[in-house]
Amino acid sequence: MLKYVLNRVKSSLVILLVVSMITFFVLMIIPGNPAQLILGTDATAEAIEDLRIAMGLDRPYYQQYLGWLLDLLKFDLGTSYIYGEAVTSLIIRAIPVTFSIAVFAMLIATITALFFGILSAVKKDSIIDYFSRSIMQLGTAIPSFWIGMVFIVYFGLRLKWFPISGFVPISSSFAGFLKSIALPAIVLAIGETGTLLRIVRSSMLDSLKQDYMDAARIKGLNKWKIYMKYALRGALIAPVTIIGMQFAKLAGGTVVVETIFALPGIGRLVLTAVERRDIVLLQGLVMFITTTVIFITLMVDLLIMTINPRIKSVERGE
Amino acid sequence: MKKFKTILVLAVVLMILSVTACANQENTPNETADIKTNLVMGYTTEPEGLDPHRTAAASTFTVTNNIYDTLVGVAPDWELIPRLAKDWTLSEDGMEITFDLRDDVSFHNGRKMTAKDVEYSFNRLKDAESPRARDYANIIKIEVLNDNTIKFITETLDVELLKNFAYPWAAVVPEEAQADLKTKPVGTGAFTLKEWVPQQHLTLQRNENYYSDKAKLETVKLVLIPDATSMMASFQLGDLDIVPLTGDQVTMVENKSEYKVISEPMNAVQIMSLNTKNPILANEKVRQAMAMAINKDEVIDASMFGYGDKIGSHLPPTSPDYFDTNDVIEYNPEKAKELLKEAGYENGFDVRLSLPKNYQLHVDAGQVIADQLSKIGINAKIEIIEWGTWLSDVYGAKNFDMTVVGHTGRLDAYAFLSRYKSTSNDYISLTTGEVDELLERALQELDGDKRKEIYKDIQVILAEKLPAIYLQTPRTMLALQKNVDGMQIFPLDYYDFKEVYFTE
Repeated sequence: MLKYVLNRVKSSLVILLVVSMITFFVLMIIPGNPAQLILGTDATAEAIEDLRIAMGLDRPYYQQYLGWLLDLLKFDLGTSYIYGEAVTSLIIRAIPVTFSIAVFAMLIATITALFFGILSAVKKDSIIDYFSRSIMQLGTAIPSFWIGMVFIVYFGLRLKWFPISGFVPISSSFAGFLKSIALPAIVLAIGETGTLLRIVRSSMLDSLKQDYMDAARIKGLNKWKIYMKYALRGALIAPVTIIGMQFAKLAGGTVVVETIFALPGIGRLVLTAVERRDIVLLQGLVMFITTTVIFITLMVDLLIMTINPRIKSVERGE
Repeated sequence: MKKFKTILVLAVVLMILSVTACANQENTPNETADIKTNLVMGYTTEPEGLDPHRTAAASTFTVTNNIYDTLVGVAPDWELIPRLAKDWTLSEDGMEITFDLRDDVSFHNGRKMTAKDVEYSFNRLKDAESPRARDYANIIKIEVLNDNTIKFITETLDVELLKNFAYPWAAVVPEEAQADLKTKPVGTGAFTLKEWVPQQHLTLQRNENYYSDKAKLETVKLVLIPDATSMMASFQLGDLDIVPLTGDQVTMVENKSEYKVISEPMNAVQIMSLNTKNPILANEKVRQAMAMAINKDEVIDASMFGYGDKIGSHLPPTSPDYFDTNDVIEYNPEKAKELLKEAGYENGFDVRLSLPKNYQLHVDAGQVIADQLSKIGINAKIEIIEWGTWLSDVYGAKNFDMTVVGHTGRLDAYAFLSRYKSTSNDYISLTTGEVDELLERALQELDGDKRKEIYKDIQVILAEKLPAIYLQTPRTMLALQKNVDGMQIFPLDYYDFKEVYFTE
């Protein structure tokens, strides 16, 4: 197990290094001179050149990259140009926002998907099954910006149940915190439920067809005990993998939902960095998101190993 | 598995309970019966740091104008008024200007402001790192005569010189704080920065030691809400006291007793610049034909929902030097076709139209224009590009055929028009030099009426020669809760919260 984890960490570091290189050079070659963008249409050519030098953009690419990489090893992601603040502190401030929504969204999506997925597999072709399949279609088809707007107008403006925008930290008020993330989390959950439900349903159907299910039935075990204990356990691997992927995606920031609900999360920060060409900030964010995704994937793989003993033994080389 | 299930069920129950519990809570009014002194305004673009000498971003000046002061101020009617300077005198030859400064001004850090600080600030504004250095290059000497008197000496006569002291970037800053002004601004203004949380809000706090009448509001909180619909919803809920308004939203708040709308033409022009290096566009008849084919009312409807004023030349209607040139070339697609035929392009031609993606106003206008041009056979191929690319390719490298963009924020006609000088090296300079001499004369003409005549001539030449097709001056619009008063729209792109107050 430990050997496996170490191997994964090693390969993760290689991935990070490759990603850092790609990000850095892609950002370097996109058109537009950051100095010109900052100084606008009124500056002289000399002023633009001076600022370019002050920003260190006149050095050869490889030198800029190595300098940046060395700082990165010291966990120094540089200073954002537009905010004049350390990139790390900007990211640290955005993490709770994005993570809270991601966790709650996945919680809602997982519960809904498990509930309807299992039911619809067990009662295949029943009304419940048709209902669940409609949820799948709708969840995937409805764009989040639209449902977000509908929620704002209905639950925020009309019923006044939830605040329309902004984030309340958990430290200042727990109720306020829950209220501020409820709508965005539900909007995100709607988007993720469809996919997850489909996977739960098909894995469950698959699992129900296995020979050991017949064995359990012949043994005369309680119907629901069979479903929950034997069928579900066998059917969990694919959904857990998907949940991990979905969570990793949400944890990397959700631009649309964060914009609509004015939430100061990772997604908004990425968008601002792109729009205003804050390259240092953008590089830092890409590294952060990559690390998060790699970490979550690793965690999910470890989780699957514990759920499914077959994988464990294969990885162990037994 | 069983344990897991129990935890899961518990979590769900807990979550549902807590969410419904908070949903049922009554919204407690956040103010007492007294008149409010804490204003909340929505904004869509964050400042690019708070150092007025080190950025060209309008979003910075919107805020910093409340933190820093300039020597001269500007009233909503464009009149220049005293601010840090009580009074000023211009030498007979117009080459020297002497400011008499107030002696009761302190920086937010408690230190008294003197003429030395003004000298330091203008040198900082003129140095290489400043985006505005070019505008102040004509000032070749700054003399501190005593603590409260300072003299600026120019190299050549510039009759518009005084206006350069009213722009929000010409702010006075203390040398000891200069390194951190970007995040820790220290000025002399009516407000200090209380807090700036990137991506969330920026709060200004009343300066209790302000030299003049103190601000009526205690705090002003600018809340970042990037999405216009969410912003409007928050305003309608009463969470925001003031919001910037887009054309499509006006009907939602107009003629409603609980809201007020204030609106003024922006000090800006939206133009479609034409690159005369393109051999087809170099043909004056072609440019005139294009101008005739463009229905500006339609452009204004599509881009500003009608909240804009048509223009025929490169000055906004609010400018004191504005001359109405809308009649020089009138909308007439039939005549446009004839002109195109005369120019030898009976069957039209292909041309690129570059539109800056970040500015919906220009993208919308460009799409309508492309459609209108197609009716006289001109095939405008739209290229939507990033603002960074626009700056480097279109503005910098002049690699474009046509582009729709805005030019903003100056108090004098010269600053607006000087880009047409053949030597300006600007992306739309009139390389033929037709306005060079007029511009030169305008800057030297001390008589205001005569100067106005010269600017009139320049505007007419531009309206005929069309180095760009002049589209509109869009309006700035703000929606206010009915209990907010004292908010005004200025010719410069900033807010001034000093006079704003609640009536109830």
